[in-house]
Amino acid sequence: MERARLMGHKRDYHTQRQLLGIIFIIPTVLFLLVFVIYPVIYNVILSFTDARLMKPDFSFIAFDNYKKLFSNMRFLKYVKNTLIWTFFSVIGQLLLGLSIALLINKKKSGTGLRSFLLIPYVVPAVALALVTKWVTNGDYGIVSWWLNSLGLLEYRQSPLAVPGSAMAVLIIVNIWRSYPFPMLIYWATLKGIDKELYDAANVDGAGTFQTFWNITLPHLKNTTIVLAILRIVWTATYFDLIWLITGGGPAGTTTHLPIMIYQASFGTFQTGYASSISVVLGLFLFICVVFYVKKTIANDR
Amino acid sequence: MFKKMVVLVLLLVVGAMVFAGGNSEDTVVEEKDTSQKIVIWTNLTADAQAVVLRKQFTEVAQEMDVDFEMVTISFGDMYTKLATAVESGTVPDIMHTNFSGTAYLYSQDMLSPMDDVIADLGKDDFIASYLHVLNAEGKTWGLPDWALHTSVWYRKDLFEKYDIDIPTDWDEFMAAAEKLTIDNDGDGKTDIYGFPVALNATHVAAQTFYEFLYSAGVTTVDPETGEYTFGSQKETAEEVLDYMMELYHNVSPKSSIEWAWSEYRNALVEGTVAMTLDMGAVILMSQSNNPEMLENLGCFDLPGPDGHKAASFGSGYAFVASNSGDSDQIKLKKEFLTRLYTKERAAERALSRPMFAFPSLYSAVATYRDDPKVALFGEQIDTITDAFENNNWYWYGMENGLSQLSSQIESTTFFGETLQSVALGMESTEDAIEYIDQQLQEQVALIQ
Repeated sequence: MERARLMGHKRDYHTQRQLLGIIFIIPTVLFLLVFVIYPVIYNVILSFTDARLMKPDFSFIAFDNYKKLFSNMRFLKYVKNTLIWTFFSVIGQLLLGLSIALLINKKKSGTGLRSFLLIPYVVPAVALALVTKWVTNGDYGIVSWWLNSLGLLEYRQSPLAVPGSAMAVLIIVNIWRSYPFPMLIYWATLKGIDKELYDAANVDGAGTFQTFWNITLPHLKNTTIVLAILRIVWTATYFDLIWLITGGGPAGTTTHLPIMIYQASFGTFQTGYASSISVVLGLFLFICVVFYVKKTIANDR
Repeated sequence: MFKKMVVLVLLLVVGAMVFAGGNSEDTVVEEKDTSQKIVIWTNLTADAQAVVLRKQFTEVAQEMDVDFEMVTISFGDMYTKLATAVESGTVPDIMHTNFSGTAYLYSQDMLSPMDDVIADLGKDDFIASYLHVLNAEGKTWGLPDWALHTSVWYRKDLFEKYDIDIPTDWDEFMAAAEKLTIDNDGDGKTDIYGFPVALNATHVAAQTFYEFLYSAGVTTVDPETGEYTFGSQKETAEEVLDYMMELYHNVSPKSSIEWAWSEYRNALVEGTVAMTLDMGAVILMSQSNNPEMLENLGCFDLPGPDGHKAASFGSGYAFVASNSGDSDQIKLKKEFLTRLYTKERAAERALSRPMFAFPSLYSAVATYRDDPKVALFGEQIDTITDAFENNNWYWYGMENGLSQLSSQIESTTFFGETLQSVALGMESTEDAIEYIDQQLQEQVALIQ
């Protein structure tokens, strides 16, 4: 009898805990439903319609938006631009972030230096764009003048008006602006590596490179995976900097998919078509991330 | 303890939902209580313009004993803001916007016709071509405020020094630009370029192209019937583009394919180009950056290919009133606008951007001319007002009056991307015109 009563209490306790857990996650679930799941589903639905900002009603048009997108002769060019922009930006950010993290980890760097190194991350995109346009102006830009002096640029030419170099400028600016995030994460990870491992390696006569290769790098692997995924997603969808500096030019050589989406939404007001481009971009990112994670796990095994 | 926690969390969730859902209701009630408040949006093109508008709105609001709220919107954000406002039903009571913005709001059925206000103010006092552009379905959907006209702004001192007459056709224009592409110190580097072909993809490329197209008689739609005509004029359009590219390769800085308004204006003011297409804003820039250049600046109309110029590219601003609210509210908005149209106020608004903006009332033009800010430019004012009164001038896509097509041309970059591709040798003229035609046809189909 007593045992049954105790069991009953135990069941009640578990039920209450489960109920409490459910109640606690309700706000998060609601948030995700309203701000993530609903917009994503609605976006996918819109991509199969002729929805436009100029008319309230729309109708189902099956795959017409996707057919239009894949028959757009400039779509492949924009995909290529997106890949170049994302790949080089992410590689650059991770390498620069890691290099500086190693530097500030090794030296006795104070909070002041670390805060200073974080400044690019808090520079507003608009200010950065204006400064970039100023220093690369063909008439009075200091960077253009340097490049011209080195024979790398025509007289009174701007690197932003030359295909190839416009993208290079954007990538460099983006790397400069975004490296503090990987730097900070790498630095935090480096701090967590057991110092005894380095002492042991030192005793065994391992050199700097061997220590880095065999101790530091393996410890940074998981961090790198997470950083790479985050930076790929953020960079591929990063719109402001390109739009403000080149507007996608010259000749569309810096137009990437987010600019194409913006043009479809607020240029020709074709919401349905814009949704189809964002679905393709979303799928593309999803595939990239899954492929990257799978590949890394496979390598681990 | 457990029950208290459950109750607390539930209260938080329900509270959040109530607040989120109840917000719009509160706004409606508040709006009803403040029905005498007029919300005005204006596209901010210059600080001086916003200062004058705010001053005049304050004066009129005091005269009428109403409140107003002025919101300035940067030009780059205009369509994004308008589209979301239309979607959410929060269009302002009055908007001060360009003709494309007016066309967009008209296409959304958001505007009140202004014919009664125009009649009250005296239709004959409005410059007729300003009214034409705001016309659709036999009604005028905005009160023209000021207009701007594209001219070739040039260095009078250089024309004099090199003994160059004002060009009267495209061959002469090319010859003048070549003569003005100068290497002053003989170091093999060009110090002054004859004419920059500004092709920044956002706005500027299409504006440059259309000035040349209109000069050669090519239009997007027929000015009389509104039928799409660009497709049947592709051959002429190709010739126009070839001419522009010849200018670009011979007499223009290479970086001009990325130049927007500020770059080409600055180049003329700083003396690194001898001529440029502009709507007169070079004057304000010269006044602030290089006042010594002011007396050297003059303007003439870009000639037609063989001397005859079919039309010019121009634009302007208008006040529009939304059709939301009951008849009393619409009357209130119209009264507010009527009070803004004294000749002094109309001139003052245009003078907030001297030589860029020209008032829409004949009576205000006289006041405008007498102002010290434009005293130096009597001759240029004659050239420009003559063009407004005696020539055809259009805004892209609005050759037959208000059309949504203009906002789609303005807010997209396909013109810029295509023209830049030709300039960089990545695309042929023929392919570029074909692509532009295809894109324009698609835009036309979208608005039908």
